[in-house]
Amino acid sequence: MMLARVADSLYWIGRYIERAEHHCRLADVMLTAALDQNDAALEVARRSAWLEADAAEPWSEESAPSAAHGLVLDRQRQASIVSSLSRARENARQVRDHITTETWERLNLVYLRVISPNVERAFARSPAAFLQAIIADLHLFKGAVDATMSHGEGWRFLLLGVYLERAQLLARLLNVCFGERSEATPLDDPMTQMLVLRMACALEPYLRVYTAEIEPRSLLEFLLFDEEFPRSIRFSTQRMEDHLTLLSRPTGSNDRSRPERLAARLSGRLQFADMDETLAPGALLASVAHECSAIHDAIYETYVRYPLEQRLPV
Amino acid sequence: MPKTRSVVQTRLGAGARVGDAGEIPPASPLSAPFYPRAQSYDDMFSADGSPRAHYAALHARMSTLSGAELAERQRTLEQTFLLQGITFTVYGASDAVERIIPTDLFPRIIPAAEWVLIETGLTQRLRALNMFLADIYGDQKIIADGLVPRDLVLGAPSYRREMHGVYVPHNSYVNVSGADLIRGEDGAFFVLEDNLRVPSGVSYMLANRDAAKRTFPEIFRDAAVRPVERYPDLLLATLKSLAPEWRPDPQVVVLTPGIYNSAYFEHAYLARLMGAPLVEGRDLVVHDNIVHMRTTTGLRQVDVIYRRVDDDFIDPLTFRRDSGLGAAGLFNAYRAGNVVIANAPGTGVADDKAVYAYVPDIIHYYLDEDPILPNVKTFLCREPAQLDHVLGNLDKLVVKAVGESGGYGMLIGPHASAAEREDFAARLKADPANYIAQPTIQLSTAPCLIEGAIETRHVDLRPFVLAGREIAVAPGALTRVALRRGSLVVNSSQGGGSKDTWVLAQAEPPS
Repeated sequence: MMLARVADSLYWIGRYIERAEHHCRLADVMLTAALDQNDAALEVARRSAWLEADAAEPWSEESAPSAAHGLVLDRQRQASIVSSLSRARENARQVRDHITTETWERLNLVYLRVISPNVERAFARSPAAFLQAIIADLHLFKGAVDATMSHGEGWRFLLLGVYLERAQLLARLLNVCFGERSEATPLDDPMTQMLVLRMACALEPYLRVYTAEIEPRSLLEFLLFDEEFPRSIRFSTQRMEDHLTLLSRPTGSNDRSRPERLAARLSGRLQFADMDETLAPGALLASVAHECSAIHDAIYETYVRYPLEQRLPV
Repeated sequence: MPKTRSVVQTRLGAGARVGDAGEIPPASPLSAPFYPRAQSYDDMFSADGSPRAHYAALHARMSTLSGAELAERQRTLEQTFLLQGITFTVYGASDAVERIIPTDLFPRIIPAAEWVLIETGLTQRLRALNMFLADIYGDQKIIADGLVPRDLVLGAPSYRREMHGVYVPHNSYVNVSGADLIRGEDGAFFVLEDNLRVPSGVSYMLANRDAAKRTFPEIFRDAAVRPVERYPDLLLATLKSLAPEWRPDPQVVVLTPGIYNSAYFEHAYLARLMGAPLVEGRDLVVHDNIVHMRTTTGLRQVDVIYRRVDDDFIDPLTFRRDSGLGAAGLFNAYRAGNVVIANAPGTGVADDKAVYAYVPDIIHYYLDEDPILPNVKTFLCREPAQLDHVLGNLDKLVVKAVGESGGYGMLIGPHASAAEREDFAARLKADPANYIAQPTIQLSTAPCLIEGAIETRHVDLRPFVLAGREIAVAPGALTRVALRRGSLVVNSSQGGGSKDTWVLAQAEPPS
């Protein structure tokens, strides 16, 4: 049992943290791609870092360093790392009584780093080191979540946010590479493929499975269907299903719209799908994105914004 | 007072084991001419310039640390506070600035004998004030007996006629209070304000203790300081004692206005340490006069609300209609006895500035005892004779408007210009009942670290008293510090800071 508002905040802490971490990697790859003069990878990173909430599509004329800078430090931009971390921390402040001191201090520390008056200078001095430090801090945060928070309802809502966001971010990244408009970003070069794997933090795990023979088809298979890699879409949806199944069951909610049913359906689909059947990855990726947002709505409907008349004592 | 100053310097030299004032190395923070002793009482030094017995160990330690070492410890302490998020937030147009409450390195020490006086004095006072509240929201005997003027009580803006006849568990209206105490020139404590509404600052008492322990571990261990760490469970027990007997495992919640409130850190801190949910008005739903909170598994009944929201905002149906901070229907549920609100609505009338003047009489009336802690002398301008005295002595007095707080509508006579005093005199004559006056009091002083040097600053003392079935005074307090030299304003919004307060368990060793 916990307050609906608290569950909501914990869920969003998870989402914003995951988004910030992913966007750190995108920014990092943007800068590397610019050094390598790899326009395709740069384009993939730019496109997948774009959020609908930020009206203008930013990949028009921007240079790589300024695109990376905007993605990291532009407070006006919803997708930026500073925005995500500020929101995560704002949510954490609202549920300060539900997260441990270790967790809070970790998050507060990384927040203080990105809003410090010296942040521009720190980023300009060494963008890669700056981004690595944030990623490392976020890993420490997730470690503190796992090691110090009770693995109960609150922890599940936080991780639910992490995995839902992860599945969506990956679906977006793969959609840029394999979806309808993917001809703008051809993956024909092994260098580009390597950079895409790095965006998903997947290069080393991929190499262990498929060796250094990088192919678009294996790349898609790995990020979509791998059972053990924690950043594959299948792994993420499986975790969502696990957490949703173990959350306490509210009375009076509509069974058909239960989020665990939707999550189980999506995860089952990914579990039994076959690469040979996936002739049009675009359609599958679009449906993953669509299912994820349906799960999000169902979580809200069931746990957060349920109609009162269903829950009043009889 | 040049003479006194030189004595103090010599004594400090002795503490640092240096022959006399002239030989103190320039690096020592104690070499600064730092004790401009006015007529006020000093916590660390007695009138002859020697450190008081209970300060001896701290004084010796202070003398051996260099300015750089002290500054380093101060920085570490501030960093800890920032990391823990013990901050006030100032929200601007596009971003938010967070500030820590300045915390001083040196603890303030209160010997056991003095604390007994404070403890018994505050307990007595709160017992009487709770009886007073039960009376004025009940039979109003004290008014019928002519001890307190009827219009003074019933006409006060903080009097809630909605509370008339409402059942309050154990007749305990004020469950959490934090009186402001000050020392007079002879060192004796006075009560300056009772703070019976929603006093804050207790989280700083706890956080400061945490920091002070780490800053002066040896002295702390040897001093036998009484622990304050049990405050959260004492508070929880107090709140649970207010719940009806047929709810054996009552649900206690903390009601906060939200993260934009300057005391939000404290609300979250107490909720966390009590293990009680921290709710906002939007989390509460009142149905059939029962208060529920929205949880992930549905609605759950709430039994006791420790509210950190002012009376005016707790229920838009009963009090201010534009309030979004409370829950509609909350007051009716309270009146029906289905939920307890702590503190009870309407306690503000007992810390009204005019009612304050009557507290000694109130203690006599209900308890038939003499007040243990005295009031500051207060002139009620509603009485013509006292008004004449006030008008004749405006240059010596502090005049305060009854209905206002936080330093508004106030005249500090000695610091005001003749024109300001004339202006205020006119206001006094136009509406005398709205004003009271008190002599200007030099608050006592304590040593503080100011930019690497040790200087005196004025301080007050805010102990916290809990009252449910029983009354308990937490064995510690928040000491607020006026950080500007010579200033008497200790409010954190106006350049005030705080320091840890050590209440000693044993009688001090003979000096």
